[in-house]
Amino acid sequence: MKPTNKKINQSAYQSTPYQSQLTRRESLKWLGVLSASALVTSVGGCSDFLNSQNDASNVVKGHWPNLKLSPITAHGYGKDPNMVTPSSPWPKTLTADQLTLVATLADILVPRDGDVPSASDVNVPDVIDEWVSAPYEKQQRDRLTILSALTWIDDESRLRFSTPFVALSTKQQFEIMDDIAYQNSDVPEPFQKISRAFSVFRKLVVAAFFCSPEGTKDLGYIGNVPIMGAYPGPTAEAKIHLQKIIADLGLA
Amino acid sequence: MKNFNYDVIVVGSGAGGAMAAYTLTKAGHKVLMLEAGRDYDPKTETPMFQTNGQAPLMGSSTVDKDFGFYDATVDGGWTVPNEPYTTGENSEFLWWRARMLGGRTNHWGRFSLRFSEHDFKGKTRDGLGADWPFDYPDLAPWYDKTETLVGVCGTNTGLDDMPDSAEGVLHTPPTPRVPELLVAAAAKKLGIATAPMHRAILTRPIDDRQACFWATKCGKGCSIGAAFQTTTSLLPMAKATGNLKIITDAMVRSVDVDNSGKVNAVTYVDKKTGNDITLDAKVIILAASACETARLLLNSKSKHHPAGLANSSGQVGRNITDSTGANLSAHIPALEGRPIYNEDGHTSNHLFVPWWGHKQQAKGELDFPRGYHFEISSGFHEPGASVAGNLQGYGKQLKDEVKKHFGARIAFSLRGEMLPNKDCYMEIDDQVTDKWGIPVAKFHWKWSKHELNQVTHGLKTAKALLETMGATLDKPLPSAEQAILKGGQIIHEVGTTRMGDSAKDSVTNQYGQTWDCPNVFIMDAGVFASNPHKNCTLTIMTLAMRNATWLGEQLDASTGPIAAWES
Repeated sequence: MKPTNKKINQSAYQSTPYQSQLTRRESLKWLGVLSASALVTSVGGCSDFLNSQNDASNVVKGHWPNLKLSPITAHGYGKDPNMVTPSSPWPKTLTADQLTLVATLADILVPRDGDVPSASDVNVPDVIDEWVSAPYEKQQRDRLTILSALTWIDDESRLRFSTPFVALSTKQQFEIMDDIAYQNSDVPEPFQKISRAFSVFRKLVVAAFFCSPEGTKDLGYIGNVPIMGAYPGPTAEAKIHLQKIIADLGLA
Repeated sequence: MKNFNYDVIVVGSGAGGAMAAYTLTKAGHKVLMLEAGRDYDPKTETPMFQTNGQAPLMGSSTVDKDFGFYDATVDGGWTVPNEPYTTGENSEFLWWRARMLGGRTNHWGRFSLRFSEHDFKGKTRDGLGADWPFDYPDLAPWYDKTETLVGVCGTNTGLDDMPDSAEGVLHTPPTPRVPELLVAAAAKKLGIATAPMHRAILTRPIDDRQACFWATKCGKGCSIGAAFQTTTSLLPMAKATGNLKIITDAMVRSVDVDNSGKVNAVTYVDKKTGNDITLDAKVIILAASACETARLLLNSKSKHHPAGLANSSGQVGRNITDSTGANLSAHIPALEGRPIYNEDGHTSNHLFVPWWGHKQQAKGELDFPRGYHFEISSGFHEPGASVAGNLQGYGKQLKDEVKKHFGARIAFSLRGEMLPNKDCYMEIDDQVTDKWGIPVAKFHWKWSKHELNQVTHGLKTAKALLETMGATLDKPLPSAEQAILKGGQIIHEVGTTRMGDSAKDSVTNQYGQTWDCPNVFIMDAGVFASNPHKNCTLTIMTLAMRNATWLGEQLDASTGPIAAWES
């Protein structure tokens, strides 16, 4: 678990269309002047947490942004969409800086791995954007969850390090990740809620990665190709492996 | 339809309607078919090979596409815009409809298991529900003919819950895959047999339909015709006779009668214009689906038929059942990181667990009267929105965990026989109409102990199977009340116009001919006298073939019943 963060951020900025005209330095400068509340205000919400925090000692008590999002009113794809040439009719709603944060987090979740691209290399942030911008009930719920998580992460980052998350060092980013990326009963109370919310985000990022052609290949899925004649079934190797399982379980 | 002198009007183009139309047109009768949905062509509209990654929301389900973006269903699902249905107090019921040529055959699971003599005579055996008005040997040759025409892969197993097909009828089924073979080993240990699932999938070409090429989910529809749907088989074949005309976007409002109460016409709404059109009818076959047909009959009230058409028994809308459903799944550690190969196969279970408890039930060892089966889900599926499971952490370690878990989960889906009961019925909601002004169906639902006890047994059995494969269930088993899926959710709703031996307690005779109106036939699952756990479509088609053949013979006879119908 040692992703090289520099590369992650560069790939996020360089390969995704929503950042393609910005250099890394310009992005950081621009992000540096944005506050977390501006981040959410741009989608119609606000995080009133930071504004009310004058005392850094409150940090450990836990916090949660109280986002007020305006509802998505776009139409869905309807009950008779073109399935042969699929498309999403609803507009995407994430801002450039939200996408950058998504890309940074996505690449921490799914970093480049040898020849296998990272999440942002395969446009995972676009899939997240499509998801949180969709007019359906589940996606609207996930939108609040995910935007709250994004805001929480930046709030936490500013409270701990006085810096937005994307500008933190890898070590600092991982420090926050270690607190929120595990959803179980051992998680301290202040991180329970963010762990649950981050879990929703994580599932989507991982799924979006593996649904990309490169991710599907990395997963090992080799179906969706026509085979003439009889279905070949398990390979010899798979059969031998199965026999061992059956023997080990005492089912032979 | 001035230039088309039809003998029979068929309402509905799904399993029953298409088979009836095919059978009659092949026998030289002219058929006019009315379909409430739009025209649909699987050859050009099926998303073969399109991936989840290409679909909105990674293909996951939404209220627009309840079974995922690529499900073949057009203009339907659990809701149809502007065509609501309602439920009674404390009742939950889901009604799947499709508004498209071919109806629900475009997306169905293609599971094609025969009912047996045991299934047809449940009441004789345990006093519950109703017997069917014929015996298995009466239907067996029609099952053979239907399976031959439709194309069903499977094997003759000799198991008591699976009647054999005639020699040479079944197509060779695909070989089982690793998780299914593991289930088979675990089941054997528990004294339970597994068998190849019978599915309406060609594994050798017939007519102009190709053999399965082992890719792309059948629920999307099948542009090569390997997975059976009426739009690539029965309907084009019937059209090729020159004896079939189809009107789509034709939502039937009523079946009409003359001054003497004799049925003589059908009125439909042309959905493109909103205009009502009345067609003269000599003989009408209703195959609009069990609940849509019952709705139509109940809405076709007249002086001579005050409780609705063909409802002198009061049984229209009664006796509705669905299959019971419940799911249990677990991660199987022994399958982690197993060798990769292409496990698409015919994209559904190659092996399943047929009901094994007839003997125990006969001995009174079980506290539920009717059986169930398990369908098995497993394998290296194409990734979708849920591929990450509940895995934790981040970075390469997280990704490696997902890869290790790929293809290591096994799920059992219980599908069981439900018995009719007095609390489960449909009627017309006199407060609500659809966009066309047609009063809507209102459903009432309550499971009985027969179903709940069966589900309890199924959950325990599934748990035992999973644990035998080394799984640890992460939480206690749910109660049957928690686990049982909603009424209608398995989409096997049947029995609303059941057949029988007597006009007193049934709606049709054994040929689907309504007791009250001899020129009105029902050829959908409404006529089922019981709802065996084996999925209804094969038997809908078999009955439609048999009963349309009988109808055709009556039409051919210059004297006899048809003369009486026309007098």
